[in-house]
Amino acid sequence: MGEEGQGRAEAPEPIEERDPDLVLLRVRIGRGLLGASEHRGQISARVAPGSLLDAARFLRDERGFSLLSFVCGVDCLELPVPYRFKVAYSLLNPEKSRRLRLETPCEDDLAPAAPSLCGIWPGARLHESEAYDLLGIVFEGHPGLERILTPEGFEGHPHRKDFDISAEPVAFTFRDAPAGKPRAAE
Amino acid sequence: MAAQVQERSPLDSDMLGPIRTETMTLNMGPQHPSTHGVLRVVLELDGETVLSCEPVIGYLHTGIEKSMEEKTYNKALPMTDRMDYLAPMSNNLGFVLAVEKLLALEVPRRCRYLRVLLAEMTRLNSHLVWLGTHALDLGAMTVFLYCFREREQLLRIFEKVSGVRMMTSYFRVGGVAREPYPAFHEDCRRFLEPFSERVDEYEELLTDNPIYRRRARGVCPMTAAQALALGVTGPLLRACGVAYDIRKNEPYSGYEEFDFEVPVGERGDILDRYLVRIAEMRQSRRIAMQALEGMPEGPLMADNPKVVPPPKEQLAHDMEALIHHFKIFTEGYSVPEGEAYVAIESPRGELGYYIISDGGPSPYKVKVRAPSFSNLHALSEITRGGLMGDVVAAIGSIDIVLGEIDR
Repeated sequence: MGEEGQGRAEAPEPIEERDPDLVLLRVRIGRGLLGASEHRGQISARVAPGSLLDAARFLRDERGFSLLSFVCGVDCLELPVPYRFKVAYSLLNPEKSRRLRLETPCEDDLAPAAPSLCGIWPGARLHESEAYDLLGIVFEGHPGLERILTPEGFEGHPHRKDFDISAEPVAFTFRDAPAGKPRAAE
Repeated sequence: MAAQVQERSPLDSDMLGPIRTETMTLNMGPQHPSTHGVLRVVLELDGETVLSCEPVIGYLHTGIEKSMEEKTYNKALPMTDRMDYLAPMSNNLGFVLAVEKLLALEVPRRCRYLRVLLAEMTRLNSHLVWLGTHALDLGAMTVFLYCFREREQLLRIFEKVSGVRMMTSYFRVGGVAREPYPAFHEDCRRFLEPFSERVDEYEELLTDNPIYRRRARGVCPMTAAQALALGVTGPLLRACGVAYDIRKNEPYSGYEEFDFEVPVGERGDILDRYLVRIAEMRQSRRIAMQALEGMPEGPLMADNPKVVPPPKEQLAHDMEALIHHFKIFTEGYSVPEGEAYVAIESPRGELGYYIISDGGPSPYKVKVRAPSFSNLHALSEITRGGLMGDVVAAIGSIDIVLGEIDR
């Protein structure tokens, strides 16, 4: 994949017409493939949420991407894109040592959701729970979506850009003085 | 009616009927010596048999990824070694390679060699801690003492080279923090040359030890298909027979110039994980020796004054250098817009940094793909149906660091 790093528009031929995986992916999911880009020799493909499961199953079964490296939710609040949340998936084909990044934008900015890939790569379970915990993205079809990193009873999603980390309230717990012991004021 | 029943012998099985049993839920941790950190495991037991085993994480969550968004790239770097405190230089390496990828910055060959040398010594350091504590979990006390004897030597070298024993932060974007001290090569050689015999010593204590073999052979096995589906990488994956090593398959930092083998196992059980790691220690020594012998001459830092601060000696008599130094450390440098994911082979598996830059001096988003996070998934799979006593052995064989799981 040489270093044609400067960007999307200047590339001689768009990456989705050059890369065999992407060409076949386009045949499979058609307009579900929203676009692709190459930066510093790394390919990422944007897939519509409705086609994500098809794309993932195709890439795993027919293109050898047998390992899901990570799932990462991103809050794009300050980036020049028309959606607020996206989910990035990094896939690895261990036989050919190839990596491919899939990205899917979440349609609803207020209640972000994406289809769960747990049925395709069981390893997605904790990664998706992490994205739910830190960004509030709901993964539809996830077997047990729960907060895994933040403490019990935590409110909000700390990796959102509008979450103020300086304003986290301190959780005090109070315990009554043991019976028979005079209170400090008395 | 009741009186009649009492007349019969209580041992008569007809009277007792089927014995009522129930499964027991047992909580292990978060404060438990063999969970290697602050991990809680909820076990569902039927007698001694494990029905389910669910790891509960999050006790060490410190929001490192979020904090990085507020810091310049230089200031974010020291947070990386706090994640995997047993392999700090591997973490440094992953982060600087990802930033260098975004900057399209090449470092000199000597720097790549030095990084490989120290990264391999970090792998030895991490594997030594793993071996010592894993053996300790299974009741073999002596191995721990030998491993920590060697680890101490390594930490002394790290301290001399970086100033700190554990949280080294030695690799920097565009190079390393400073030139290694004069006797560095001598110290490395003194450590690496006899290291093969040290590994022989550990092997004498464990490899053919019948007690260890019976605790490890065939216990908590994993198949290659299971491992791939769960995203398990590193020695665990290689113990299942998949020869995937990022150093070999997607070489970074000049690993393609080194001659080494990727050890693999067959059965994917605890013994194979042990044997793979032991063989890896020998390979790491081999790579480190090659890096030491073949260390090229030349500059250590990349030739990019925007990113690399001027040499410290210049600051005393050159005003421009002083200003430049302060600009780099206060304002930082801007990194071109874009995304990059760089994965390296850390002692525990695929350690990756996914960085999104919006063109500013601090990362827009950092995601750390921690190998232990995915590997810990495997715990519930491999312990199901096994014995309760093997859970501790299984946790040890996965080699987790909770700091990078919770981040």
